[in-house]
Amino acid sequence: MSVLLILMLPFVGILLPPLLQRQGRLAATLGAGIPTLLAFGLLMSLGPSVLAGEVLLASREWVPAMGLTAGLRVDGLGFLFATMTLGIGLLVITYAHFYMKKDDPLGRFYAYLLLFMGAMLGIVLSENVLLMALFWEITSLSSFLLIGYSSHDSEARRGARMALAITGLGGFCLFAGLVVLGQIAGSYELSVILASGDLITSHDWYVPMLVLVLLGAFTKSAQFPFHFWLPNAMKAPTPVSAYLHSATMVKAGVFLLARLHPALAGTSPWFFLVGGVGIATMFFAAYVAFYRHDLKGLLAYSTISHLGLITALFGFGTAGAAVVGVFHIMNHAAFKASLFMTAGIIDHQTGTRDIRILGGLRKAMPFTMVLALLGSAAMAGIPLFNGFISKELFLKETLDLPLMAGAPWVFPVVATAGALFSMAYSVRLVHGVFFKDPTEKTPKEARDPSMGMLVPVGILVAICVIVGIAAEQTAGPLLAAAAGSTVGGELPYYSLSLWHGFTLELLMSAIAIGGGVVLYLQRARLYEIADRWPQLTGQMAFEKVQGLILSFAEGLTARLENGSLQRYIVLLLGMALVAGALPFLEHGFVTGTAELTPTNPVAIAVWALLVVATLATVFTHRSRITAIICLSVVGLLISIIFVYLSAPDLALTQLSVEVVTILLLLLALFVLPKVAPPESSTLRKIRDATLAAIGGAGMGLISWAVMTRPQDSISDYYLENATYPVGGGTNVVNVILVDFRGFDTLGEVAVLVLAAFGVYTMLRYARHTHVEGVDDMASDRYPVVLVSVSRPLLALILLMALYIFLRGHYLPGGGFIGGLVASVALILQYLASGIDWAKERMGVSFRYVAVAGVLLATLSGGAAFLVEQPFLTMTLLGLKIPLVGEIDYVMTLLFDLGIFLAVVGGTMTILSQLSHMQEDREPFDEEARAKETDPWKP
Amino acid sequence: MISLIEYVIAALILIGVSFCFVGSLGLVKLPDFYMRVHVPTKATTLGIGSLLIASTIYFSILRGAPAVHEILIVVFLFMTAPISAHMLMKAGLHEGLPDVDGEVEKRRG
Repeated sequence: MSVLLILMLPFVGILLPPLLQRQGRLAATLGAGIPTLLAFGLLMSLGPSVLAGEVLLASREWVPAMGLTAGLRVDGLGFLFATMTLGIGLLVITYAHFYMKKDDPLGRFYAYLLLFMGAMLGIVLSENVLLMALFWEITSLSSFLLIGYSSHDSEARRGARMALAITGLGGFCLFAGLVVLGQIAGSYELSVILASGDLITSHDWYVPMLVLVLLGAFTKSAQFPFHFWLPNAMKAPTPVSAYLHSATMVKAGVFLLARLHPALAGTSPWFFLVGGVGIATMFFAAYVAFYRHDLKGLLAYSTISHLGLITALFGFGTAGAAVVGVFHIMNHAAFKASLFMTAGIIDHQTGTRDIRILGGLRKAMPFTMVLALLGSAAMAGIPLFNGFISKELFLKETLDLPLMAGAPWVFPVVATAGALFSMAYSVRLVHGVFFKDPTEKTPKEARDPSMGMLVPVGILVAICVIVGIAAEQTAGPLLAAAAGSTVGGELPYYSLSLWHGFTLELLMSAIAIGGGVVLYLQRARLYEIADRWPQLTGQMAFEKVQGLILSFAEGLTARLENGSLQRYIVLLLGMALVAGALPFLEHGFVTGTAELTPTNPVAIAVWALLVVATLATVFTHRSRITAIICLSVVGLLISIIFVYLSAPDLALTQLSVEVVTILLLLLALFVLPKVAPPESSTLRKIRDATLAAIGGAGMGLISWAVMTRPQDSISDYYLENATYPVGGGTNVVNVILVDFRGFDTLGEVAVLVLAAFGVYTMLRYARHTHVEGVDDMASDRYPVVLVSVSRPLLALILLMALYIFLRGHYLPGGGFIGGLVASVALILQYLASGIDWAKERMGVSFRYVAVAGVLLATLSGGAAFLVEQPFLTMTLLGLKIPLVGEIDYVMTLLFDLGIFLAVVGGTMTILSQLSHMQEDREPFDEEARAKETDPWKP
Repeated sequence: MISLIEYVIAALILIGVSFCFVGSLGLVKLPDFYMRVHVPTKATTLGIGSLLIASTIYFSILRGAPAVHEILIVVFLFMTAPISAHMLMKAGLHEGLPDVDGEVEKRRG
């Protein structure tokens, strides 16, 4: 249970910072810090048992049909990652409080950070791989929000978009890969998957599955050739970089490699794909990092390089290499987080991150200098720092690779070269910023920052030093536990001591350190050479592809969506005709065997009227108002037909829908130009008429075929069960709407509200200028006769709406009809007294009413969870209300009330927006418009 | 007694129907918009009103209890019919529809 609590705390905490930010930044920081601290404390309480090798599992069914469980697992590896996520998270929250601009209230920032933290915890603590994929997606989304936090900066938006595109695509591949993996293993539970390594690696689908999973891991961990999103993500605020690119986001990829290591590793595809990509990335990124002038850019490529190192270690596939990989994950998290924060401090205090400008800061920022020096030493792998031990072990592992027996020198040489550049850029970082003479004055006067920014860095650096001196005593137990679950069996022998004697790897280390220094001294010449090389990067390729996709999409859209409503209808109708005609062409048209109902003169008369009214609509279409009146005749006739066929509910609905639609249409007409568009060409008329005729005939044929067949449908079940004890009502239509098919109703109402919001957004800035000379004989804008009658009518109609709504469960009526009737009453007020008068008295925006309605309907459906029933199960509660009597369908009534509100809110939102447009009273607000500009536009 | 009431009901129905007929006739025959709006309102108030009174009497006697549904209809009709006519007139004036005497054109100038 406490595992679940650890995972839930960050998610629950999301609400706190935005709510607390009015109390000041400190409150927001505490709102983010306290849930994190609690989660960290809870996690630590699990420490002893996890370090003893226990695997804590907590599982709950979620979607059993899909194999999805809400299963959590705390083993050594998960514990290590959770510790890093929460621990470094705490430091980052502290650091951000001092780093971020003073006028940023931080609520939104911490909310995103907590969302990300929760998702990251979800990845590392999931027992079910589908659940893991879900959290994986949330990290992609929340990192998008974090990277693009400075949303006014187009570079930040671009970086965020790129990160989302790459990691999102990878996440998609990963999901596919995990589904295949689950199918192979026969379960999505990690316990099963990890135990069936042989089955998986010998399966036919192993290689495709592996490629998909690795695509997920490589994109997330920024491995070559997907690395370019990471440097572009450096536009994020520095605390975000320190968090995402040291301990969390990018580590999710290598976590996945470690997590699935027992099940997938050890084969030659694994070795060449993972090991090869890893070592290549390690060297390539170290090389590029050396040439970066931006501090964060340098650190970004350094991160890619170290991730490559870790990836390579897992790729080697041996137990020994995996242990080192886990060890380097810990070390890298510590020193890289500290270095990112240091880079942030330098940026914050001097106003620049350019190494070419910076220099000589050792006097102005002595504390920062010490911390940067120690952190960089760890990054470079200098003895007595944690980075040294893991690097040394890494070099040792490259020497002993059975699969590279043909060319045993390849990996050691590339690894040494990578380490050499790693040394070189670390020297550059320290010397370039703190020691060499400054070339220009920095934008700000440099001095050490407040303790609040130094302390988090200090803690991380202290870890680097302590682990570097006494690795076995400090990090040993945690490493053993984490490596134990990565290896999935007995741990191999390994030694974390500093001194292993004069070995080959010591020599390689010495070459790297010495060579790195030499390389740095020769830097001027190297930069000159590099400048002459052509620039060809993955980023360019990405942008090229992105451009191609965009122009293709734009071309297609322009062709399909050209603004001609006729074309849309033709396309839509054409598609429907093809889909509808296919079964006829395949099976032929067969009339059913059922006996035909005898007709009578009334039905024929109504039908004839219907035909006349329809034809009238078509022929009067050039005079819009006449056409609308003809159309309303069609609608009213249909409601008469419903009455004739004994469907009073439908008749009532049709009637009220008719009234509301006609009113809305008339209002919309008002905005159209007074002059009708030119008449279509004859050819076009023939085309349209043919399509319409075929469509109508097709519908007729389908209805004929359906209705002549003996009916044996689910409606019999509905009819039988509408009353007690299942439905509890006598109006079967209403029981179907709110109970049997409640989910449909909820969806439809949501669509209605969404459509209303669509109208609202589209017409928000549209203005229609209607200036016509109002005649003096008809000059009173709101005729007093209409006004004085409409007000008492409001009360009457609302009462009727309430009556129709309440009786719905037993007699014709219900929330939908009631809502429409209430809308009519309100519309009348708008018409009679004007929107300003009406708006003033409504007291609440109809958009909120609409949303509240959908929310109420959803919640009343969700109440079923309380009694362990599926969503929207309407339980009958015996509830006595004074004066009204016993009502046992409370939940149904609440659901129906939600529909009522959603209908009123949705209809009135559309209406008030349409009429608002005509009032044309507010001046056009350029500023508000500018704020609405598309954030996706580069 | 019964027969007397039957006569009354029949008379009411005839009155109502003739008003409705006159109303419809006027709608066809009258020369301009403003006059045409005038007639259906008379038809609904007087014509439908008489019919509804007839219906009230008939069902009250048939069921032995006063029927009041019709009264509600009358109330609504008396509220809405004059107003819709009024609004139609206003719309006509607003649009400047011509009348027989040319009064509207004169006032509009």
